[in-house]
Amino acid sequence: MLSWIAPLQPLLLGLVLLWSARLKLLSRDAAAAAGRSALARLVGDARALPAFRLVGAVEAALGLLLLAPPALPAEALAAATLSVGFAGYLAYARVAAPDSSCGCLSATRTPVRWRSFARTGGLLAASLLALPATVGWTDVLATRPLSAVALLLGEAAVLVALSPELDRHWLEPLRQLQVRVTRPLAGGGFAVPLDSTVEQLHRSPVWRQTAALLTSDLREHWDDGEWRILVFTARHRGDEVSAVYAVPRLRYQPAAVRMVLLDEPTGQVVLTLHAPPDSPDPDWLHPSPAPATASAVGSAVALG
Amino acid sequence: MTENLDRRRLLTSAVVGSAALAGATALGSLAPEAAFAAGEQAIEPGAPDPNFAEGRITGISAGMLFVTGSDTALWRIRITGGTSIWKLRPTTFEQVAVGDGLYARGLRLPDGTLAADSVWVNIVNVHAHIAAIGRNLLHLDHKGKRIVGHLVPGTSAARYNNTPAVSDMSMLRVGKHVQVIGAWVPDTNEVQIATVYANA
Repeated sequence: MLSWIAPLQPLLLGLVLLWSARLKLLSRDAAAAAGRSALARLVGDARALPAFRLVGAVEAALGLLLLAPPALPAEALAAATLSVGFAGYLAYARVAAPDSSCGCLSATRTPVRWRSFARTGGLLAASLLALPATVGWTDVLATRPLSAVALLLGEAAVLVALSPELDRHWLEPLRQLQVRVTRPLAGGGFAVPLDSTVEQLHRSPVWRQTAALLTSDLREHWDDGEWRILVFTARHRGDEVSAVYAVPRLRYQPAAVRMVLLDEPTGQVVLTLHAPPDSPDPDWLHPSPAPATASAVGSAVALG
Repeated sequence: MTENLDRRRLLTSAVVGSAALAGATALGSLAPEAAFAAGEQAIEPGAPDPNFAEGRITGISAGMLFVTGSDTALWRIRITGGTSIWKLRPTTFEQVAVGDGLYARGLRLPDGTLAADSVWVNIVNVHAHIAAIGRNLLHLDHKGKRIVGHLVPGTSAARYNNTPAVSDMSMLRVGKHVQVIGAWVPDTNEVQIATVYANA
């Protein structure tokens, strides 16, 4: 059975190595990927990119050798050695720079986890499988095309599943589909969250006038009919008082927010405040309602 | 409990009662000296703020929290009737437990205690990607580490594109970036989500 499986492994290994080399040699993100990888830690920041390129060149050379016709055991041995080297590198990254990226197959930031080790183990197994190969992969593809393609697809699927870099191409869409089908977050309800009320309070004219008095964050809140009551602690003339705000609960009307400052132990109201009702016209358009007070007249006389 | 209900009724009627409806007359004064009567304490640039504490709670006694800071500073934090306590939501002193983490802001008293104005228990602020969504669960990918976010019905809110918060979480998407404000469950990788900020 090995007689047809073994010659196929160099094809798989060659393609994976060329794919990996493509990132390191041709990608515009190579410099960034090198900087994020544990190589920067291993050989220093300045030499990370040359080292990254060198690994890419070795991968490309070995990949091409594996794909080229004469199937030599030495090639498989070299691939196995490279896999062991990668495993060592991953172990180093895991221990010395756990926050670094793998930099293996794509520039996507992917910390080293068990999947990276499993993938390297898979490549090592494929390299060892390739050792007894006597014929080239082209011959096997020609003689038993169906089983050969099926095997290669299966192995490729395993490698893809073990590659965290490729998750966004297959795992995320799958999970998005699952969410679309099962709708796990549908039951949110239509209750107005506290956050929304607090934000409305922050946009109210009353808040602009009184926020500087507050010393505490939101202490307490409850609903009362169309209002949501929010209680803070405030400091007014050196006394600690409660600042009680009433914010419209089911409508957005920051101008309707009102508040009282209240001394809780005595129940005495220190200050009440609510914004004047909305009016389309500026105040000075309205006729002056009451005769001027004595003090206003006095100052007018003094000015005149 | 009935005492609290009576108190709430009193406060409610004070702020929305008919007396307040009569007109926009302000009782008392909002002059700047009223607002800034306490005065500002000068803090040396670069010096630690004496009125701020953080750490894990190692002991609780009547009205007092004993806290060990991340720099091993020991804090005694006094909780008063005017202290706001946040633990996923505005809550009470009884909900605070040993082992919780906290940030506190208040006023340093001469006896070394911190009289807290506000205490935020277990609060965390996380930027992450949604890796997967389960029933009332967000699996978050935070720099390669997994955080499990629990949505608490009735409390958790979502803010999409900076619009006002809503309870509807259905616009969260796998793979998208989110910011989560929540309450950490001590010594786990789990948070209870208060607000999740997302783009829809």
